[in-house]
Amino acid sequence: MKKFSLTALASIAMALSVQAQEVTFEEYDLDNGLHVILHQDNSAPVVTTSVMYHVGGKDRTEGRTGFAHFFEHLLFEGTKNIERGKWFQIVSSNGGKNNANTSQDRTYYYEVFPSNNLELGLWLESERMLHPVIDQTGIDTQKEVVKEEKRLRYDNSPYGSFLMVLGKNLFEKHPYKDPNIGYMEDLDAGTLEDVVAYNEKYYVPNNAVLVVAGDIEINETKKMIKDYFGPIPKGAAVVRNYPLEDPITEQKVATAYDANIQIPATGTAYRIPGFKERDAYVLDMISTYLSDGKSSKLYKKLVDEEKKALQVGAFNIPQEDYGMYLVFALPVGETSLESLQSGIEEEVAKVRNELISENDYQKLQNKFENNFVNSNSSVEGIASSLATNYLLYGDTSLINKEIDIYRSITREEIKEVANKYLKPNQSVLINYLPGEKTEF
Amino acid sequence: MKNIITLLALVFFTATMTAQIDRSKQPQAGPAPKINLSEPNTFQLKNGLKVMVVENHKLPRVRIQLDIDNPPIAEGNKAGVSSLLSSLLGNGTKNISKDAYNEEVDFMGARISFGSQSAFASSLSKYFPRIIELMADAAINPNFTQEEFDKEKAKIITGLKSAEKDASTIAANVQAALAYGKGHPYGEMTTEETVNNVTLADVEEFYRSYFVPANAYLIVVGDIEFKEAKKLITEAFTPWTKAVPPSFSYSEPKDVQYTQINFVDVPNAVQSQVVVENLVDLKKKDEDYLAALIANQILGGGGEGRLFLNLREDKGYTYGSYSSLGSNKNSKSRFIAEAQVRNQVTDSSVVEILKEIERIRKEPITKEELDNTKAKYAGRFVMALENPETVAAYALNVEKEGLPKDFYETYLERINAITIEEVQAAANKYFSIDNARIVVVGKGSDVLENLEKVSFNGKTVPVRYFDKNANKVEKPNYEVTIPEGVDANAIIEKYVAAIGGKQALENVASYALVAEAEMQGMKLELEMKKTANNQFMQDVKVMGNSMSKQVLDGNKGYMTMQGQRKDLTEDEVNKIKEESAPFPELNYLAAGGLTLEGVEVVNGKKAYKIKVTDNKTVYYDLETGLKIQEVNVQEMQGQQISQTLILDDYKEVSGVKFPFKMSQSMGPQKFDFIVKEIKVNEGVTPADFE
Repeated sequence: MKKFSLTALASIAMALSVQAQEVTFEEYDLDNGLHVILHQDNSAPVVTTSVMYHVGGKDRTEGRTGFAHFFEHLLFEGTKNIERGKWFQIVSSNGGKNNANTSQDRTYYYEVFPSNNLELGLWLESERMLHPVIDQTGIDTQKEVVKEEKRLRYDNSPYGSFLMVLGKNLFEKHPYKDPNIGYMEDLDAGTLEDVVAYNEKYYVPNNAVLVVAGDIEINETKKMIKDYFGPIPKGAAVVRNYPLEDPITEQKVATAYDANIQIPATGTAYRIPGFKERDAYVLDMISTYLSDGKSSKLYKKLVDEEKKALQVGAFNIPQEDYGMYLVFALPVGETSLESLQSGIEEEVAKVRNELISENDYQKLQNKFENNFVNSNSSVEGIASSLATNYLLYGDTSLINKEIDIYRSITREEIKEVANKYLKPNQSVLINYLPGEKTEF
Repeated sequence: MKNIITLLALVFFTATMTAQIDRSKQPQAGPAPKINLSEPNTFQLKNGLKVMVVENHKLPRVRIQLDIDNPPIAEGNKAGVSSLLSSLLGNGTKNISKDAYNEEVDFMGARISFGSQSAFASSLSKYFPRIIELMADAAINPNFTQEEFDKEKAKIITGLKSAEKDASTIAANVQAALAYGKGHPYGEMTTEETVNNVTLADVEEFYRSYFVPANAYLIVVGDIEFKEAKKLITEAFTPWTKAVPPSFSYSEPKDVQYTQINFVDVPNAVQSQVVVENLVDLKKKDEDYLAALIANQILGGGGEGRLFLNLREDKGYTYGSYSSLGSNKNSKSRFIAEAQVRNQVTDSSVVEILKEIERIRKEPITKEELDNTKAKYAGRFVMALENPETVAAYALNVEKEGLPKDFYETYLERINAITIEEVQAAANKYFSIDNARIVVVGKGSDVLENLEKVSFNGKTVPVRYFDKNANKVEKPNYEVTIPEGVDANAIIEKYVAAIGGKQALENVASYALVAEAEMQGMKLELEMKKTANNQFMQDVKVMGNSMSKQVLDGNKGYMTMQGQRKDLTEDEVNKIKEESAPFPELNYLAAGGLTLEGVEVVNGKKAYKIKVTDNKTVYYDLETGLKIQEVNVQEMQGQQISQTLILDDYKEVSGVKFPFKMSQSMGPQKFDFIVKEIKVNEGVTPADFE
């Protein structure tokens, strides 16, 4: 009996262990509107300091695209107290690493340090927020660097322009129609005044969230945050009012050329709701159903059995105002793009017309449980999720609750959502072809 | 009252604290955090498999890695066999069908994947017992089928095609091939041709030889008790048959004798890929290993490296410029300094990279640089410990590389002890300035003119040209354009006029030619006869014995190869017919269908390139009008083989100019035939074609 109860306890502990990884956090606002989130985990002597600004590629005026990404570069140039070109050296000479990235919706800057350099991380980010040096020299250098980045990532890279083609064809009015990195002529046209004004508008504490995660002591950290970020003046509230798109009601066919490829690609794309909407979570499940793993529907059909595709993938590209849903495939040998497109539509049609099997539904739930366990495996990753959940989803606690949303999605709902967004008359077919010159 | 005092004290306290923050000064680090370096539990199976288990219960998951540490393997003319093996592993087992296997793994939300000598799996810990079984079964009892093989082969070939125009893929391939040589495992190239040479039996053979436990390590990290793991692993992997892989030695790769630019033209490139590289003989257990790492770090290890600060932050040439230093216990490896830069600054980038390499060799680094870099290494070491797999990776390195047991315990101490002099010595030993290859892959028409002017330390750096398969080629030429009004027919007419005129050519009813070439000290004799009536005879003799002979008489003919005679098929008859006329150009004019493809430089001369058929391209000298080269593509045993015939030394015989030097090349072979005799309208009888 005693032995039995021990085993029973052990198995209960096992069953609970999936829930047991709850991420604890504390959040509050400073007077200047900066939202602060702290996550303590003392298991390794490492700390992440990060700031996410609610500014991305879409935050621009016509003729001034790509500014948020440009700022990602510019805000490493130096501050009133950090000499130009010294940023990376300060970080690395203190045993840390740092980087930044920009999407259409937000910009994320972060440092990871051994935990005895927490104060340094806070100093760096507060310097960046308080008084970055923005001058012509920095602007000129970083313009060239961004142009090289564009050549490297997009112009010189096989299939590198695909996302731009997608944006251009799924949107007509909303800023998502233009590339996140912007048009180079817009960067060239940007004046020092434009750049300074952009900084004053978006890079303010009330448009940002600070996350400190890892090997910290809460009270000491709060005090340091107040010291370093408290004096930063509040900015005006950021107002966004981007034009809404009309629904796509007739299938569109678009053709694009890429000078870096030999094998064409096809994309079947749909415009879907922004990532906060429940339907976007359902669409996540549909893309996993279609193409994640060797037993997924599209992989099994197009790659494995019919041997028509070299690769196939369904992606939900999450964005704040509207998402982009893409089913992408590369043909093997002489397979035509039309035949891939009809193969894709056949499988998508099945999701619209039939309930997925009980077994496949359970498989999806297992996959999302596995993803959930892995999603919070590093402090760096947790910091990024906390920032994203607060700033873009408006609910920090999603870090622990997101799995409940997936669990609550039913087979019927999957069918319903597929019918709502993934019909042929709502799609854009993209023929992405080898060409002498890249153009779209 | 007391409250007010406390309040005041608090206010005062806060105020002073705020005042103490001097943000103009960079905050100092607190006391160094404590480091905990644990060791994995280990055991070994009888078949040789070594197992390491790191328990970490933070998350309910397990990761499993199988690493077979064999020496490098050359795949030769079957390059691609290992890629095929990795795609064929994990497609079910002899006990479970592919579909059932994939379904089961996916259902658990787990992943299992294979390399040609490795495997990886991850899952929630509750599924570990089944996942380790599935992984072992797929590794030990693979399910190889012809159907899967054909499919994966088609995918690899399509994949190779997809990268054909990708400048970075081309650059990576050529850099390795030139540095190591194409016969070395690290320098060989996988091409459509080599993949086509691979059969399913080759894959099985590769598996049997190399997917064996002698050098294998299994590493398990995660939420699992050691005792439980040991039991499950022993059960799953004991059936793996004990075996040792064959080992080979390879010729030692060598650096170039003098620093040079190796240029590969990729006309669609919008950036140049610049790499300065040399070979290094460096192992992790070497005394100066850490000093060498520090030297590389300072030169180009990241966003604060000299290369980055110079080429990106100062000049804006590139998105990033970095260097890397390899180490390898089995072979030489490479030092690389690189940047992807815009076309216009290709030459300047080469110079700046060379300058930085020279500077770190010649001038001692500063104390500040050394201290900063040491701190970076220390930080990286500490941060890596967050990941439980680090402990396993360190233990694995100690085993594989033959490092001292305390290599990682003393790591920080040894980093700390490195001196400026040691770093400079390592820079001089491992970074070359006199024997460096500068591999530039880019758009020649934009970058070559300036690249040829690159000079360093007062000397012009010579440029050699290569194609994307790292074969030496002639310098590409971009200056010439086709003059207006010139078309294919006009070029042929000019050629006809240049060798004697239409009338003179039509008067040639037949000719006979005798030529000689040398092959490895032996004499090769060529006899050729042609008439205007579809008659053709070609006989190649070695030391007086016929080696190959082709004869055509109207609509029939035969060929003999080393004594074996075979009648020509209809196709072959038609092919030879096209070439049997004394001057095929006269037929070209009548038949039409020629395409002028452009102007190229052939052996230093500008020539019009005319496509006659899909398989035949002919080049005519821009100035003299003479035919100077023919390229024929032939299908042989399923492969496209290209033959080049270079024509030179034209001399007049009976009013018509004939080439007296004919160089034939096919693959690596080249024969220079010198014409001894040409007879026009004599020396040919009908008996020659019987």
